[in-house]
Amino acid sequence: MSKELILLLHPTFGVLAMIAAVWVFVEALNASDANIARLRGASVLSAILMWLAYIVGGYWYVVFYGGDKALIKAGPWPFAHSFFMETKEHVFFMLLLLAMFLPIAAYGDVVKKKVTRNLVLWTSALVVLIGLAMEGAGAFISMGVKVALTAS
Amino acid sequence: MAKDQTIADDTVSAKVAGYGVSYAITSILSALLVMLKETNESVMGALVSITGHHWITQGLLNVVLFVVLGALLSRREKGMSGNALISTVVGATVLSGLIVAGFFIL
Repeated sequence: MSKELILLLHPTFGVLAMIAAVWVFVEALNASDANIARLRGASVLSAILMWLAYIVGGYWYVVFYGGDKALIKAGPWPFAHSFFMETKEHVFFMLLLLAMFLPIAAYGDVVKKKVTRNLVLWTSALVVLIGLAMEGAGAFISMGVKVALTAS
Repeated sequence: MAKDQTIADDTVSAKVAGYGVSYAITSILSALLVMLKETNESVMGALVSITGHHWITQGLLNVVLFVVLGALLSRREKGMSGNALISTVVGATVLSGLIVAGFFIL
């Protein structure tokens, strides 16, 4: 598989994980015996997809990112690495752990306890919000490479 | 719309509380480790020596710490206030994010 395809798989899994987290959020708004299995299934799916995003993105970062990093640092947008990439690669750890925590919370008493439901709502919302921030940071990193190439 | 089946009980189970608190602790420690490794070459070198890349080592440490701490904290017989847990999870996320982003923006 080409490294470009590997790179594209990273945000693809990330977006799918976020969509699954939105699914969890919506199911949690009206959690009942009728939809709890769906809610829990979506939470597990979100965690699995986030792990796939982590593994694929991590592989690309460790194996291939060095060349892009050198380009970005020498280009007109060095902050695309020094701020956006550095922040992204470390905040992602929180996102991964939150995605792991989501099914644990979802397997709590979501139907009967409003506070557990609220915890699931907050956790899924955080997964989506941090995920969107990761996508945005990824866009800055890609643009950092592009402006470096066009400037050279 | 589904019928509301909720009961007035503010506590979450010991397992949910344990892993929630574990997330909060791991998240903040991870953010502090970022500052430490970026400012201390020996810490960075130690992380690199374990797996060959500091980021891989930190990721493994985070996952192991989250799982182990979560399992240990889940052994408590009592749960905890759900609202306190929500505040802990959200607060730790905001604080860790600010530590990491603040470190790299300065």
